[in-house]
Amino acid sequence: MSPEIVNSETALERAGSASAVNRECMLGLAFVAPIVVVMGLLVFGPVLVTLWDSLHRVDPMRAGTPFIGLDNYRNLMSDARVLHAWLNTLAYVVFAVVLETLGGLGAALLLNRITWGRRWLLAAVVLPWALPPVVNAIVWSWIYNPSHGVLNSVLFSTGVIGSYHVWFNDRTTALLLVALVHVWRMLPLTAVILLAALQSIPAELYQAARLDGAGPLRLFSKVTLPLISGGLAIALSQSTVFAFNLFDEAWILNGSSLDTRSVLVQVYMSAFQDLHFSYGMALSVLVMFASLVISLVYVLRVYRETRYD
Amino acid sequence: MRRSLLSRMGLLGCAALLLMWSLGPVYWALVTSLSEPVDLVSASPHFFPVHPTLEHYRQLLGATSSYQGSAVQSVWPQFSRALVNSLLTSLLATIVTVALAAVGAYAFVRLKFPGRNVIFVLVVASLAIPAYTVMIPLYRLMVSMKLIDTYFGVTMIYVSAFLPLALWLMRSVYQSLPLSLEEAAWMDGAGRTYTLFRIVLPLAAPGLIASAILTFLSAWGQFMIPLVFSPTLATKPLTVLIPEFVSRNYVDYGLMNSAGMLAIIPPVVVVLFLNRYLVQGLMAGSGK
Repeated sequence: MSPEIVNSETALERAGSASAVNRECMLGLAFVAPIVVVMGLLVFGPVLVTLWDSLHRVDPMRAGTPFIGLDNYRNLMSDARVLHAWLNTLAYVVFAVVLETLGGLGAALLLNRITWGRRWLLAAVVLPWALPPVVNAIVWSWIYNPSHGVLNSVLFSTGVIGSYHVWFNDRTTALLLVALVHVWRMLPLTAVILLAALQSIPAELYQAARLDGAGPLRLFSKVTLPLISGGLAIALSQSTVFAFNLFDEAWILNGSSLDTRSVLVQVYMSAFQDLHFSYGMALSVLVMFASLVISLVYVLRVYRETRYD
Repeated sequence: MRRSLLSRMGLLGCAALLLMWSLGPVYWALVTSLSEPVDLVSASPHFFPVHPTLEHYRQLLGATSSYQGSAVQSVWPQFSRALVNSLLTSLLATIVTVALAAVGAYAFVRLKFPGRNVIFVLVVASLAIPAYTVMIPLYRLMVSMKLIDTYFGVTMIYVSAFLPLALWLMRSVYQSLPLSLEEAAWMDGAGRTYTLFRIVLPLAAPGLIASAILTFLSAWGQFMIPLVFSPTLATKPLTVLIPEFVSRNYVDYGLMNSAGMLAIIPPVVVVLFLNRYLVQGLMAGSGK
């Protein structure tokens, strides 16, 4: 075999692989092209328009759309109703994250330990997540009904309360009850994520710790908790972002009431009821950035942790 | 011995509590939907329907119905339209979303092309965008393309909303498949597309089912999007129709609860028979 032939062969191969790379590239672009079109047209285009419009005064009731810089954002800072809505959302996030994490962890530990009928218990736990949020909210608003609701009659007949309550008259109670409906729907997600994390812990670790004389509490704090911290971080970020975007429950249970108005309900009110389009858009932009930052904080933490493994 | 019995009792008690928390509200709605309107407003609640009746269901599903003695128009015409709308938009959105995610995620995992990572990160990051951030520009766009209140318009918005999660899920499915099978197929001269459809997709079937279920349930329960984009019964789904039963000065909880019971049939069927895939989807969709 002469060297020239070998050379020309590798050159041919190289040309062939170059065209294969080229084909692969074309195929990849063809495969993702529909996604780029759909997401570009229906999500990223509109987001850019929203960002742009939030710097203008877009108001169907007033002529022209002059550039007003950050005025919308500045006004948001001093709008009492908006601040109220932020505080409500903060309350939702705190209630939801605490209850979902504790309840979800309890459910996951139970599902991990139970052997008999686990499949059906898991199905029952997941069910609330699968139901339409609107139906959940309707079912719960009937439970909370001040004169005929089962919550009042059960608490009254067991002597917990002395008289029937109109639950949504008190702001803190109202926030807690709206959050509770949200927790009912989202707790399954936390439970399932934590269950997956629990199941990935090797049983030998528990045996070894038990041989060293560790009790159940020490087992939990020294073995279980550190090993599910990755799953816990994901569950926390999920419940935070979902509670942050709470809308359906607040809207169906208590409409536009200021007491339970979440930030997204405030966006809806500003944009579609008061018809201050760009003002509502500016608020929705803030919600978007807040959601992104929350997700990012958790995602980066998880990423760092998994890299050390 | 005694301790293990005690801990088993404790476990059982916790399981009972958990069941009550998860299923209690659904059971209560079922009882309500089967109760006479008079019993619903009686002083003490009944945990079983005392005079079980299908009156509310007849009002939803019958041609005509009587309500507390007087003849009233049944809501079957509206209800059936909304039911068909819910089914059609959810199924269409599911098919399109899963198809795009199945092919797209494969490209993101196995094929090299410029912009691969940027596009993927951007699409997944869009999960954090609240629907209301895009609502107004999207509404103007849909009006200008005359797609308000059309199946195509609503379906495509659902696709854009649920595609990121499906894509994320399918990517983790493909990443867990061994590359060696595909390489063997290429050795035998099979092309990339052939390999994807004949070898990879069948192996990824559980993942495809999981993303189909997640997408279907999300679309079936969607409220905000159709509230704006489906103003009339041409495309209005159940989730928007049911709360409208409040509109009269009297809130008909019996009717709303029975409509709700019918609306949760598809999710309940999924949870009963396909829960394995649903749980896998939830785990993979939020994990990794």
